[in-house]
Amino acid sequence: MKAGKLTRLALLTALALIIFIVELHFPNLIPLPGVKLGLANIITVYAVYKYRPKEVALIVTARLILGALFAGNVSTLMYSGAGAILCLAGMLLFKKVIPYRYIWLSSVVGAILHNTGQVIVAILVIGSFAVVSYYPILIISGCIAGAFTGICAQLLLKRDLHGQCISKEVK
Amino acid sequence: MDKGVKIIGVTVVLLLIASVIAIFLNLRKSDNTYVVILQDNEVIYSFNLSDEKDRTFRIECPNGGWNDVKIEDGKICIIDADCPDKTCVHTGVLRYQGVPIVCLPHKLVIRFSDKENS
Repeated sequence: MKAGKLTRLALLTALALIIFIVELHFPNLIPLPGVKLGLANIITVYAVYKYRPKEVALIVTARLILGALFAGNVSTLMYSGAGAILCLAGMLLFKKVIPYRYIWLSSVVGAILHNTGQVIVAILVIGSFAVVSYYPILIISGCIAGAFTGICAQLLLKRDLHGQCISKEVK
Repeated sequence: MDKGVKIIGVTVVLLLIASVIAIFLNLRKSDNTYVVILQDNEVIYSFNLSDEKDRTFRIECPNGGWNDVKIEDGKICIIDADCPDKTCVHTGVLRYQGVPIVCLPHKLVIRFSDKENS
């Protein structure tokens, strides 16, 4: 991996971590396990559409582990990890089907998959289906949060592409 | 609009509608007063809230950690826990049949029981 790319990936990871930590201080509107705005996923969605799958996986892994350590809540790593794996796999697959104009939709699908992963792990950990009743609430909150982060990422990418076009023209 | 995008969009909308229906079914207030507390999927407490005296007690987790459970006026809630996110505390009073109080780090579930068992 070239130093330039490594730096850019590291920068994105740092950005995602900052967003993640700032978001920790927001009061939670719906205090149920798993309900979250997930603003750091703006970076994930952005990276999915801009970098190779392996590079996205690197960013997300680093963010998850460091985020859990910074938040002082390593036990949540299982849930967020399972969610992230499912979400990334789904988004990287759907990237081929969903064009740039519908990135927000890709983000919504990612959010739903993320919540699905979390619920599956929660069922396995707790050993009962009591948490399944949270699933519909998670899907709805995930769709709203996913659409929001997706739109943010889409705007970012649009600027990015625009910027690249200009810089090419200047050259 | 591409066919693929359409299919995904329709699936998402269907999921959303199904979720809204499921939530309405879940969020009916429970008139049941029988509550069970499960730890690691084993019943550790089971009682009828309307007969219980007001009290606060601590549930220790075998792997470390605790939750303080409070019973008051026939209502049950978790008032404190030693995890950083305190989601179970913020969940508040147990109200709905379909929405249990869950503490994921300590594998604790407080929910209304299905049958009126003793």
